[in-house]
Amino acid sequence: MKKPNQFIRNFCIIAHIDHGKSTLADRLMEQTGQVSKRDMEEQLLDSMDIERERGITIKLTPVRMFYDSDDGNEYVFNLIDTPGHVDFTYEVSRSLAACEGAILIVDASQGIEAQTLANVYLALENNLEILPVINKIDLPSARPDEAKREIEDVIGLDASYAPLVSAKDGTNIKEVLEDAVKYFPPPDGDEDAPFKALIFDSYYDNYKGVILFVRVKDGGVAVGDKITTFRSDKIYEVTEVGVFAPSMLPKDGLKAGEVGYIAASIKSIQDVAVGDTVINADNRAAEPLPGYKKVQSVVFCGIYPLDGSKFGDLKDALLKLQLNDASLIFEPDTSQALGFGFRCGFLGLLHMEIMQERLEREFNLDIITTAPSVSYKVIKTDGETVFVDNPSHLPPVSEIESMEEPIVHADIYSPPDYLGQIMDLCRDKRGIFEQMTYLDANRVKLEYRLPLNEIIFDFFDKIKSRTRGYASFDYEIIGYEKSKLVKLDMLLNGDVCDALSIIVHESSAYNRGRTLCENLKDAIPRQLFEIPVQAAVGGKIIARETVKAMRKDVLAKCYGGDITRKKKLLEKQKEGKKRMRTIGSVEVPSEVFMQILKTNDD
Amino acid sequence: MNAGIYVHIPFCKSKCRYCDFTSYPDKLGFAESYMTCLYHEMAMRGEELKNYKFDTLYIGGGTPSVIDASLIAMLIAAAKKYFNLADNAEITIEMNPESVSESKLALYKKCGVNRFSVGLQTAIDSQLADLGRCHTLNKFLTCAKLLKGENFNVDIMIGLKGQTRGDIEKSIRTAAVFGASHVSMYALTPEDGTPIYTDYLNGELPDGDEVADMYDYGVSILRGLGFGRYEISNFCKSGKESRHNLNYWRRGEYIGLGVSASSCINNVRFTNTFNLDEYFKCIMSNRFPVIDSEEIDLRGQMDETVMLAMRTAEGLNVEEFNEKFGCDFNEVYAAALDKNSAYLEKRGVRLRIKDEYLYVQNTIICDFLA
Repeated sequence: MKKPNQFIRNFCIIAHIDHGKSTLADRLMEQTGQVSKRDMEEQLLDSMDIERERGITIKLTPVRMFYDSDDGNEYVFNLIDTPGHVDFTYEVSRSLAACEGAILIVDASQGIEAQTLANVYLALENNLEILPVINKIDLPSARPDEAKREIEDVIGLDASYAPLVSAKDGTNIKEVLEDAVKYFPPPDGDEDAPFKALIFDSYYDNYKGVILFVRVKDGGVAVGDKITTFRSDKIYEVTEVGVFAPSMLPKDGLKAGEVGYIAASIKSIQDVAVGDTVINADNRAAEPLPGYKKVQSVVFCGIYPLDGSKFGDLKDALLKLQLNDASLIFEPDTSQALGFGFRCGFLGLLHMEIMQERLEREFNLDIITTAPSVSYKVIKTDGETVFVDNPSHLPPVSEIESMEEPIVHADIYSPPDYLGQIMDLCRDKRGIFEQMTYLDANRVKLEYRLPLNEIIFDFFDKIKSRTRGYASFDYEIIGYEKSKLVKLDMLLNGDVCDALSIIVHESSAYNRGRTLCENLKDAIPRQLFEIPVQAAVGGKIIARETVKAMRKDVLAKCYGGDITRKKKLLEKQKEGKKRMRTIGSVEVPSEVFMQILKTNDD
Repeated sequence: MNAGIYVHIPFCKSKCRYCDFTSYPDKLGFAESYMTCLYHEMAMRGEELKNYKFDTLYIGGGTPSVIDASLIAMLIAAAKKYFNLADNAEITIEMNPESVSESKLALYKKCGVNRFSVGLQTAIDSQLADLGRCHTLNKFLTCAKLLKGENFNVDIMIGLKGQTRGDIEKSIRTAAVFGASHVSMYALTPEDGTPIYTDYLNGELPDGDEVADMYDYGVSILRGLGFGRYEISNFCKSGKESRHNLNYWRRGEYIGLGVSASSCINNVRFTNTFNLDEYFKCIMSNRFPVIDSEEIDLRGQMDETVMLAMRTAEGLNVEEFNEKFGCDFNEVYAAALDKNSAYLEKRGVRLRIKDEYLYVQNTIICDFLA
């Protein structure tokens, strides 16, 4: 038995969204000389465009640093930056399994937030040593002592030694590094044992195949080794191993306690799953490492290629994204209106949005997404229970005994000034008030039971707009409840458009139907004939609008000089038509399918 | 088929608010030099096109009537000299009411002009002012009296700010009562970059439905007065079609001369420079002032033929089409024909857009393009 290098510290940073994780990570890298100040691009580890634009971390990102401690030794730090948003808890739990310690950042002015707690519990579950750090002490509204007191009261951690830092200004960063050396344990494991490493992330490289991000627990791996995983019987030869510096830097090998990557010409994306354990094929370890809890999708939507012939490209893109984000699930689906596509499951609305954006940006795909749905429990008259997340798969009304919908427990934090607005909104969304707690003079926690299908549309946006951005919101699913749900169909020129069907509560069917008719009327371009736009529940029409026939679409003049120009114009118009879907005889632009997400009030 | 000649005279007294043609309200002083260049361009083109027979000459602008009539006389003489222009050629000149005089007309007629086109636009003075026209209804009346008995067209616009059906009727009747043989009634197109575009942006102009109503109304008034529609925006007394313009819609050949003029010769479409200085420079160094040139491939020729023919009441002669392009029209355009069958009608060998769908023809024609 040989203990791994005792001068390694593997840790991550956890925090509520926007408490400064990525900024602190950048600062640590700068302080350890990993990157020169000159090369610093703001938020170095948020490398995706979407991350920079939205100012949030979506993906975990590992990086290796060297630190000369005051104790005279040089330490290797492996830091894993993690997302803060509730939808990405899965990413966080993956990084935690690869670490021994976690830096817990608490915003000096905002204190403990919903996601701070969630992440702390995750870290505690993983037996991590937690080092609290109070950030943003440069802000005039900073109240570091109160933040410390909250950490002690709410989480029960001793915060007396917590460094007070400003990641923005670079104040007291050194203290954080020293504390990491002092408080985080070195990795355990056995260098002499057979090789065993946890896959905590992966992505697909066009030249090298699948790249595995691993935390080596036992033994070591080097170029030329034969590897396999516990769940697959395929054997691969390692072509490259290395560390994150922060870009990938090849090395001869990785040993127990280290964090790095492995490339082994793995071509098939399905063969290696995040959470699986990599082992040496010639010297197999006996037991796999504990993987991750399988996560449950809560929001579903259909994703279709705008151009039907791009189905294969969409499939490849989804597979590659899944490799990078195991929480994304999908299966092939067909729609009369949209053709071949996929039914996809996500951890939340933001997760869904981000995935849609990544498909468009990273894979250059034009996609159409259908309305988000939750998974409903349908008890049929024959006693069978089925789960339905796609409105068009709902059994006929005559076969449905009853339906249940997922219910969440929601915590809404807000300054007291906005309580009225929030309560109004929750009432509109069929929320049931449970409790109100004054956290301090400026902060109230409201607890509600809410149907999940009411919050997946625009709840978050509305909370933000009604409280001028002050409120924050977190939820967890607590179970299913019986509910009077109906399927709302939209008919274009008499034909049901399956991609526009939604499941709604009986009480809101009429309003949603009317709003949708109005929105669709505006979104569908006028055509050569009149198009009735109708909303129907169970075959009964409940709302109707009409897209009038187009009266004028002509170029007034077409003489000698106009011919080329006119032809170009018509070609452009034709291009636009090509991007439309035909439902029955109606040509529908893809934006129409997004109308379902809009509601008309405020 | 015989070809047409178009000559562009880019001078105007003032620029109308809707105008996006090449015209220079402040460069009248250059008229003489410009015309000299035109004669030179004609000489160069004439040499190149000496095997062509020309059937029409159209002098457009700008405002051709704004320049000295003797320059027009020389222009026509040059056209006859350098091109093989038929004796019975249709020779048209565009005029604005304010720049017409008895002596000018007399000279035009003397050198062979047999068709006139007058820009009235509207018989309502306030609307003329809105458009930035530099004449009044009265000026037009004076001009129209001089044209009595001649073969002439009157341009009328619809879709103007505050325009009513009554206004349109008045404009049409004004043209008819003075004996116009031809009316061009076209909808105002607010082009980006023109002053009137701001009116459009501010929602001051009638919307598409209103314009369609005006159009339908105008068509019915014109029909009542004996003007038949032979193209979307063109109406005439029997036999008074503009031969020059028909040639465009039958996808005939034409040579354009002068700044910004377009040509289509031997399936190549090309356009002269829009810049007056550039034009001068090219001509004076014996070069053609062409800036854009595109050879139209077979499918392109077919598509253009369909696109243009569908503007006309006569429609497309399918038999001629098949013979000319050596293909089966019904096969090549099967999908488009099927999709639009409700909007098309056959009359003998001809296929046309039904009258009631002529005003939404872009949507239909789109489907025919490759």
